Amino acid sequence: MISPRMATGAQEKQYPASLLNFFVYNPKFGPKEGEEEKKILFYHPNEVEKNEKIRNVGLCEAIIQFTRTFCPTKPAKSLHTQKNRQFFCEPEENFWMVMVVRNPMIEKNKDGKPVVEYQEEEILDSVYSSVLQQCYSMYKLFNGTFARTMEAGGVDLLKQRLEKFFYRYLQTLHLQSCDLLDIFSGISFFPLDKMTYLKIQSFVNRMEESLNLVKYTAFLYNDQLIWSGLEQDDMRILYKYLTTSLFPRHSEPELAGRDSPMRLEMAGNLLHYGRFLTGPSNLKDPEAKFRFPKIFVNTENTYEELHLIVYKAMSAAVCFMINTSVELTREFCEQLDSLVGPQLTLLASDICEQYSINRRISGPEKEPQFKFIYFNHMNLAEKSTIHMRKTASVSLTSVHPELMKILGDINSDFSRVDDDEEIIVKAMTDYWIVGKKSDQRELYVILNQKNANLIEVNEEVKKLCATQFNNIFFLD
Amino acid sequence: MEAGQREHEEPEEVKQCDPSLPDSHSQAGCEDSEAFPYHRTAADLGDSIPDGDQTEEEEEEEEEEDGAGTQTDELEETSATEEERSSSLDPEGDPEEKAERDGTLNRESELPEPSGNGKEPEEDACVAPKAGELSDSGSTDNTLEDSGEFTETCPDVTAESWRGHRKHVFVLSEAGKPIYSRYGNEEALSSTMGVMMALVSFVQSGDNLIRSIYSEDHKVVFMQQGPLVLVSVSQSRQSEQQLRQELQYVYYQIISMLTQASVTRIFERKKNYDLRRLLAGSEKILDGLLDLVDTDPSFLLSAVRCLPLSSSLRDSLSQTLQKAITPNLVFSILIAKSQLLAIVQEKAVIEDARLEPADLHLLLNLIGASSAFQAGEIWTPICLPLFNPDGYFYAYISYLDPPQCTVCLLLLSTDKEAFYSVAECKRKIEDGVRAQNALRAVEEARAYSVTQVGVPDLRHFMYKPFDVPENHKQLTQFTSPEMEAPYSTEEERERLFDLYRYLHSCIHSATRPLKLIYHVAEKETLLAWVTSKFELYTCFSPLVTKASAINAITKLLRWIKKEEERLFIRYPPKYSTTPNPSKSSWGGKGGSDRQETTENGFLSLP
Repeated sequence: MISPRMATGAQEKQYPASLLNFFVYNPKFGPKEGEEEKKILFYHPNEVEKNEKIRNVGLCEAIIQFTRTFCPTKPAKSLHTQKNRQFFCEPEENFWMVMVVRNPMIEKNKDGKPVVEYQEEEILDSVYSSVLQQCYSMYKLFNGTFARTMEAGGVDLLKQRLEKFFYRYLQTLHLQSCDLLDIFSGISFFPLDKMTYLKIQSFVNRMEESLNLVKYTAFLYNDQLIWSGLEQDDMRILYKYLTTSLFPRHSEPELAGRDSPMRLEMAGNLLHYGRFLTGPSNLKDPEAKFRFPKIFVNTENTYEELHLIVYKAMSAAVCFMINTSVELTREFCEQLDSLVGPQLTLLASDICEQYSINRRISGPEKEPQFKFIYFNHMNLAEKSTIHMRKTASVSLTSVHPELMKILGDINSDFSRVDDDEEIIVKAMTDYWIVGKKSDQRELYVILNQKNANLIEVNEEVKKLCATQFNNIFFLD
Repeated sequence: MEAGQREHEEPEEVKQCDPSLPDSHSQAGCEDSEAFPYHRTAADLGDSIPDGDQTEEEEEEEEEEDGAGTQTDELEETSATEEERSSSLDPEGDPEEKAERDGTLNRESELPEPSGNGKEPEEDACVAPKAGELSDSGSTDNTLEDSGEFTETCPDVTAESWRGHRKHVFVLSEAGKPIYSRYGNEEALSSTMGVMMALVSFVQSGDNLIRSIYSEDHKVVFMQQGPLVLVSVSQSRQSEQQLRQELQYVYYQIISMLTQASVTRIFERKKNYDLRRLLAGSEKILDGLLDLVDTDPSFLLSAVRCLPLSSSLRDSLSQTLQKAITPNLVFSILIAKSQLLAIVQEKAVIEDARLEPADLHLLLNLIGASSAFQAGEIWTPICLPLFNPDGYFYAYISYLDPPQCTVCLLLLSTDKEAFYSVAECKRKIEDGVRAQNALRAVEEARAYSVTQVGVPDLRHFMYKPFDVPENHKQLTQFTSPEMEAPYSTEEERERLFDLYRYLHSCIHSATRPLKLIYHVAEKETLLAWVTSKFELYTCFSPLVTKASAINAITKLLRWIKKEEERLFIRYPPKYSTTPNPSKSSWGGKGGSDRQETTENGFLSLP
């Protein structure tokens, strides 16, 4: 797991932050002495010796209990030690999730002996607390709540589901590249003209009507959301799943296959590029299974269990969600394919055309003097020119990680008060960083004008706001 | 009145210090033998002890406290001479330990110890642990089991009001024994402190170190210093770094009373020693320190503030100090309103070391925390932890203007026997100051208003220059006007101070320091700026524009330059108390100093 990076020049090895442990426990499950093991519902890595597991869980319990001395309702959220940080989260009553992250370290060579130095202040609490929260949300999306699972099949079923889900999910956590975007966990919206937007909406309506089983629909283009019928928080985590896991897994064959004649053959009598990303990979295959992933939404109130059908044509993807009480058959899938496929293909090329026209109007992109991240808490809209692209593995940023951490610092300051605020800082590297918070919206700008002064920086940001966010009022 | 009091106390004070002082034949006894006599001096002065018997008894206690865990002395009823004591400093804690194990350690043997004021306190575990009473309850705490009982009987630990405190500070020993708690009875809190220690050692057992715990509203910061564990539980916005710095101050204040070497030795000898025995009565000093840390930016900035004075007045005060010298005098300091008036240093001192702001803060806190100093003269050993954590200075403290008690004189000597000669210096200084009619002028001097700067949007600022005029290292200083409207209420002042702390923590972040912060919020606009020449924190009205803020700062810097002579001590004068000052072990740390001990004390001046 650990991949040391050789620093230039010096004989130093750098190790990024990495996941040490991840566990779920319920203190009520083994209250008696000698039964502590029963508390543990999931423990990663599983190879850890039993007593060690019990000890680590015991420490968490002690820390949480201790902080209740000072505030019974708001116990500990994190523990900082020299070597690692532990994050605590109680997503459901008495169910605790703990993530232990090892601090980044530098291995130096002193007199022939390797000496490890822990970088204790590199990890941002707010980022990793959000990552832990996301772990739960993602688990819940595919498995429902702990409590419901307990009702359905007791501790054994819960343990089984936790094991099955987290065994794979934890491998996809790339802790060293988590940043501000993990805190927002926002949704990138595709910018669209009114006409095309209406086309999409009418498409969604038609589909919902024709396939009358559909409960919710979501429409994405280019990994960006255009339309969603889901509640915001459910869409947020589904969006995360689609863009960081499902789409990247399917992007390779798609790129390769776009012009391949194979696709045309598959398309049958009507030419289209539509295909299922979940469920059957090939409808013609007589062995094809018509099983779709199940997701759980509205867990707070109606608690709905749904089939998730993701269907894609070129860069356009549509998600249909259907109640699990309905069994999905081959006939249904064929109907969907023949109905949605051609229309979605058409729509996708429409959007693509519109998109390139808009880009031409706005003129050729030249490297701007600034990079920014924008987030709107009301509709979860996020926009970043710092992140090049999202992939399943690493989210690539075009700025130094140090600057990203300063953004994180500013964000944690913003989250402490509700008032509107503006913060402008000059980093030691002479980069200017501007953070603005106004009416639930946050904007972070990094300016690469090292010789600018405060007033010039202010002017630059004003210009940016005028071009990119002309209808949004920011504190001046 | 003053003379009379002195007559009565002087011998008493000197005598008290006498046995505890290092001498040529008690090799390592120097720092160890010293119980911190503040509480005693304070109490003594307050109660003005009437008869000699009492004094003797007190002296005995003193000795009892001296050699950490010297129950033997007590039991054998030795009237310890110095030789005897130094021999008793050898590992002799065993009998007591044994006694404790057997549970035979009765109250009688401990009883005399706590009564710092000669009265026998009533036994009541729940009484707030102020002054002498504390060590009384300490005597009942021979076993940890007792603590559970206290937790039940004392409701204050779970009380909302106790929880609601903005910042708790705890000091405990590695054995988990309570030493100090800012709020609430240590006894009642002993189980809580036990948990703290358990967390520390649990994490340690995993070859790791606990640093802090964060919850939504609280930060818990742990710090281990030698055998002591200090814990801060704060609801403020302060950074972990800042809270740790405050704990460091608390540790230093304890060290200033006992020295580091003696604390280390005490716990080496007896792991579960109850340090409150030695600190009894000094809780007030720690309380005072923590209150000060929360209101006085000096601690945050690690700098001292001077009372604005005309340079001619300050010069003449310095000259007065410069003239009144005696051998082994190393620092002469005049203080008013917790701010510096003048400071003069022995030449040789400045060569190798300097008085750190933190050491001066501890002295200022000591003076501020004890009103007892307002009467008469004090002569007390004190350790300046940053100068030398293992040795003592002897501080002479006296106010020049009783009964107002604004102007305080502090003389530091390295000679434990120098009381009379140092007191003579005070008389000279007193005469000098009186001749100049300087007291009036000093009493009239006060903090300035920000309006003097003449920038309308500027509400407040803190300015700390780095440029040292000469080559010699000098005391870091800062200047700041009074907090005026809208910061006239305590809440608003606290809020502004919190904002400054926040700026300070960002700009001085250990991992991501910044050069400049401009912060616009609802109620004010703040600008913090660190350059190689200065560090500046400013507070403006919220509607100020960036252009006018920058303008204001230019004006402010110009104003400070103009007022420099009045706001800062530019060239701290020096004196030489010895004809041929040669380099010696000034500020040297560690044990080697102790070996070199001469009749002058730990510092060897030829």
